[in-house]
Amino acid sequence: MRIGLVLPSPPAYSETFFTNKIKGLEAHGHTVVVFVNNSKKGTFNTTKCKVAPKLSGSLLTVGSISIFTLVYSLVFHFNKSKRLFLLDREDGLGVIQRIKNVIGNSHIIAEPLDWLHFGFGTMVFNRENVAKAIGAKMAVSFRGFDIGVYPLKNPGCYLRLWDKVNKIHVISNDIRALLYTHGYNGKAEIIKITPAIDTFYFKKEDCQLPSVKNSFITVARLHWKKGLEYTLEAFALLKKEGIDFHYTIIGEGEEYERLKFAVYQLDLLDYITFTGKIKHEKIKDELNNSNIYIQYSIQEGFCNAVLEAQAMGKLCIVSDAEGLSENILDNETGWVVPKYAPNMLAERIQKVIELDSEHKKRIAHNAQRRVREKFNIENQQKKFVDFYT
Amino acid sequence: MSKRIKIAIYSGIVPSTTFIERLSRGLAATGSQVFIFGLKKGSVPSLPNSTYITYSNKLSKLLLLIRYTFLLFLIKPKEKRKLDKIISRSKKRQLVLRLKYYPVLYHCPDVFHLQWAKSIEDWIWVQQFGMKLIISLRGAHINYSPLADSKIAKTYKALFPKVDGFHAVSKAISLEAMKYNAALHKINVVYSGLELEKMPFQLKIVEVNTPLKILSIGRAHWKKGYTYALNSAYFLKVAGVNFQYTIVGVGTDEELIYHRSQLELENEVLFLEKLSFEEVIVSIRQADVLLLPSVEEGIANVVLEAMALGTLVISTNCGGMNEVIVDNENGFLVPIRNAEAMASALKRISELPLPTYQKIATSARNTIEDQHNHKRMIVEMLDLYQKVLITEQ
Repeated sequence: MRIGLVLPSPPAYSETFFTNKIKGLEAHGHTVVVFVNNSKKGTFNTTKCKVAPKLSGSLLTVGSISIFTLVYSLVFHFNKSKRLFLLDREDGLGVIQRIKNVIGNSHIIAEPLDWLHFGFGTMVFNRENVAKAIGAKMAVSFRGFDIGVYPLKNPGCYLRLWDKVNKIHVISNDIRALLYTHGYNGKAEIIKITPAIDTFYFKKEDCQLPSVKNSFITVARLHWKKGLEYTLEAFALLKKEGIDFHYTIIGEGEEYERLKFAVYQLDLLDYITFTGKIKHEKIKDELNNSNIYIQYSIQEGFCNAVLEAQAMGKLCIVSDAEGLSENILDNETGWVVPKYAPNMLAERIQKVIELDSEHKKRIAHNAQRRVREKFNIENQQKKFVDFYT
Repeated sequence: MSKRIKIAIYSGIVPSTTFIERLSRGLAATGSQVFIFGLKKGSVPSLPNSTYITYSNKLSKLLLLIRYTFLLFLIKPKEKRKLDKIISRSKKRQLVLRLKYYPVLYHCPDVFHLQWAKSIEDWIWVQQFGMKLIISLRGAHINYSPLADSKIAKTYKALFPKVDGFHAVSKAISLEAMKYNAALHKINVVYSGLELEKMPFQLKIVEVNTPLKILSIGRAHWKKGYTYALNSAYFLKVAGVNFQYTIVGVGTDEELIYHRSQLELENEVLFLEKLSFEEVIVSIRQADVLLLPSVEEGIANVVLEAMALGTLVISTNCGGMNEVIVDNENGFLVPIRNAEAMASALKRISELPLPTYQKIATSARNTIEDQHNHKRMIVEMLDLYQKVLITEQ
């Protein structure tokens, strides 16, 4: 089978979801073609990768690329291009937009495919008819931001999609539920395939005990979605209670100034470390050196970092944002706290600290076992092979 | 001092913020000669005693550069050579620096008043030509940029001791600046002043049985603390208070739209794009309460405006806000990052008897008339300029 995967850019090494999926499909004898909008950070090079025509820059550049691409498509892929043009007309698109769509999708039109799979909901815009035009089936993945946040700002953005898509992939039950609030009509089958991690790479290692007794850690982009400001406020409450701790935040991002100021204003300068972006192996070391992992997100598709922390035997405290409450089972494999409530988070952290070590071990063990059984890569790869049959 | 003082007000952009424009106009009206340099981004007023040296497109930049290169070459060749040496040591683009620096050197004001502390490295040279360097201490430049960027902190610590004088927008910000070696005796607190004749006070007559009209004004930036305000709106809704909350200036900010939807406040909370000054005045007049949920501020102008116009204010106790608001007397102060406290203050206002509302509003207007009038701001700013000029003699 030939499967086309539409992504913003080629999956980088760290984007294990896509790299694993591609490897799995290829191992089962399928051919995968990746379509991207830009090729800047491509590191995954075993798979065929095609870049969309670059339609930005000076008028002259855009004009000449457009004309060349259009002529090429009409000469070599006339029927498919015509079909796309006509299908878009049925949807009521203007002539200019229809021509743009023929040009902008020429790299996809040129490939014979059995399935065209959009890696994120937001990749589908102006491509709703491409699969049908080339005679392929259409699949779309929804992972969090694309269905949780984007449609709030752009209401009705998926209305043209629901009648055309053949199969929908979601990464959690919460995201499945969100589809209905944005117009999903129940036609296409929804299949849940959660993210997975390399449970051999992330496993509990015999390491020296962390130097600080209560050592907390989060691995996250410094973005409002990650709820780090609320997390810091919870730690300010713990400090008031006289609890000794250290909290390390691994990651970089646009909210650094906001968080740094919060640390200063909450009088936590000696309690918090921002490491910035660090290498994959270093992250493992940092995880080894801490005992509790926190992910108090506001919006979260599923969160691989939480899976990795569990696999490494860390106790996890997370918010109830979308997939997180499926990632962690409250009181069984960790703890789930309602979001936006730093006082409740602080309370939960304090209770977890005070648990006896047997209880802690049991929870960590449960989490580790569940991740190994349910969220391993082999499992995920098999589900994706089944997805296309 | 009988000689007319030559003052440069530098923000880099013309016209600049409301405060800076008001300051320039006010200084010119006292007979001082005011110079304004920078990139022209809108219409420039022609006022007596004011000289605008601006550029916009490439051609106007080129013409300005040629003109001042020529003038300096003829009239101040020695100074030009000295400045060129300074420019050549900088890593920034030489032509851009010449364009910015030459007019300043040519007009050589007595006082160069830099509005943004972060540019201090670019302008410290003016002292080598006899100009006095004054720096305004305001908002982000002092309160958090140097916390997140240690390079800025280092620059401040090295250069603040050399600055001739500081204008602080609040007492609170002076204390922050002193952490970066700004000397107390060089700092004058000059509060923002409103042109009160343009903002007549109106005692509110409360309409019964209408929702409490809450208003916030300001761009979508984390320091404005809108997420706390939304949480407080949620508490208010849970408490059964009938209200309408409008936030002006945030447009379609993703974080706020998401937050509003999560709290299911779409019917109670409205987000608007930025409004003109006149529209802002109207919206403040229509509101029952102006809410400032910020985590950081110098002193928020919008609070001063609401107090002048007769709309009650709830503000967080951040930055210099407690230098204006005395809790329960001329407004309400709540702790920062505390949605519950914000909600209970809002609830209190919704239950306030009309005479109490009017009494607090009147007291607020008195505070503004006394502490934040335009005249006082100009006099105090001139005091600061004269102080640094006298020190020289």
